[in-house]
Amino acid sequence: MASQAADARARAGWLPGWRRSIGAAGEESWTVPDVRRRLQLVLAGIWLLDGVLQFQAFMFSKGFSQLLGATAAGNPAVIANPINWSAKIIADHPTATNAIFALIQVALGLGIAWRPARKLALGASVVWALAVWWLGEGLGGVLNGAASPVNGAPGAVIIYALLAVLLWPGRQDRAAPFIAGRFTGANVARVLWLVLWGSLAYLALLPATRAPKALGGMVAGMASGEPGWLFSLDDHLGAFLTSNGPAMSVVLAIVLALVAVSVFLPWPAARAGVVLAIAAAAFLWLAEGLGGLLAGGATDPNSGPLLALLALAFWPLASAAWSAAGQPKPAAATQSATSEGA
Amino acid sequence: MGGPSWLAWTFASVVLVVAAYCLTRLLASWRQRRPSDRRVDGIHVLMGVAMAGMLVPRLRVFWTGGWEVVFGIGTLWFAWLAIREFRGRPTAGGRPGHHLQHVLACGAMLYMFLAADTVAKARGSAMSGMAAGAAHLPTLALVLAFALFGYVIWTADRLSSLAPVAALAARVTPVPMFAEATAGGSASFGAAGGEGGDNGQVPPSRGQQVPPSQARRVPLSPRLAACCEIAMGVTMGYALILML
Repeated sequence: MASQAADARARAGWLPGWRRSIGAAGEESWTVPDVRRRLQLVLAGIWLLDGVLQFQAFMFSKGFSQLLGATAAGNPAVIANPINWSAKIIADHPTATNAIFALIQVALGLGIAWRPARKLALGASVVWALAVWWLGEGLGGVLNGAASPVNGAPGAVIIYALLAVLLWPGRQDRAAPFIAGRFTGANVARVLWLVLWGSLAYLALLPATRAPKALGGMVAGMASGEPGWLFSLDDHLGAFLTSNGPAMSVVLAIVLALVAVSVFLPWPAARAGVVLAIAAAAFLWLAEGLGGLLAGGATDPNSGPLLALLALAFWPLASAAWSAAGQPKPAAATQSATSEGA
Repeated sequence: MGGPSWLAWTFASVVLVVAAYCLTRLLASWRQRRPSDRRVDGIHVLMGVAMAGMLVPRLRVFWTGGWEVVFGIGTLWFAWLAIREFRGRPTAGGRPGHHLQHVLACGAMLYMFLAADTVAKARGSAMSGMAAGAAHLPTLALVLAFALFGYVIWTADRLSSLAPVAALAARVTPVPMFAEATAGGSASFGAAGGEGGDNGQVPPSRGQQVPPSQARRVPLSPRLAACCEIAMGVTMGYALILML
């Protein structure tokens, strides 16, 4: 079989370079994605969703540029001026700019999924995410006092960049007790986790969340335009938080702080921390009204799914599993290219 | 909520190009007897035409209710194939779980037509493509869109493992086929070879004459077929998002 494949490669020698390299890959059997690759594919799916959401009618209107421009309010001039500048460009050319934005995000999703382009796409996604975090989300409202874990702070898009770095397919993986540490190393990954979840805990104690009726108002505000079941859920949750807002913000801060430190704890506690992180992400996503996806006009699913994906990347592995860090297992079930049919 | 008309036309053009290409695959597969999954090519032709009409009302070619019947049958048919597959009876041209993708796609098409009709009836006016806005059960539309995007990503992940046609052609050993060699004298490129044919045939040795029925032919491009699935999936996801 190997000689046959080599023969085929030799026969395909007239192909241009890039096609030859793809062809060579095609001669190999398909490798079942390892855990990191699966997480990359989920990230790719979310980018693809973002790209298609960007094709909604509202994004081609002036309203979209006004939405972006509004994020400049309350930020320092050095942050706000570029936001106003880019919002003006988008307002002047809404159709062209939005079509480009949508295509970029679709390309990022498909690029991460297409194996030969995954590094390029992951790298580009970091650059794109940082640009959107600044020019599209006003740094997630971190500097203007509007940030709250319930409204997507510190900005969903910055978590895309963080995930791209932590899931980067390095040439040589480091031994780490979780997938997220294989490229950066376990300690760097833990610190990044601590900073993210710690900042969420801190934001939960700021007036934007802790003030009476602030939390309840935010959640109830998300209910508008949602289908019945989600409207009802957010409406009830909002009513509960309106009467218990300050206490619940403290509870939320404690939970988020526990999650933040959990990755430094021994194996069973770390695993419990990750489960708690997934539960917190699910709660935040419901409180965010599923990112407004069902109300129309959402540009992304907001921070909930990304926090859950990040948590999965920190799932503690058994020691036997992480000693052979990141080596993809040979496919248990491989198929030849010809049997792919369609 | 509807998209800009130029965008609807763009997506409609994409699916029409895919439909036209799949039609040529069907014809080439039939005339040249080259392996291809004709069921999938056929359903892509139908989906392309149906979706173009959904996005741009001027491109509608079927009577009201007709597409619901077509995709209802398609959903059941692919579901049956998927069940057979899971019971251990492999169907031609399918990788494990391959047919589930088409169950999902046909089901999504069925949902879109049913939901669009419901909205049009509720509003008492003819549905203007996708522009009539939110449908009933928008949560289902979102779930279907998630699932379709998942399949698109899964297909894109496998894309580079599919050999290009040139490599497939090079892989098989050209063998002058008995019937054509005697009838026309031209050396056909039907080709036999490979270790173990698709149908478990014993491969002929190099230069051995084989009857055409046993000759392996170069499959139609599996990569382009996968690209068609990706294009269809993205466009269908877009149509579902418009229904939110």
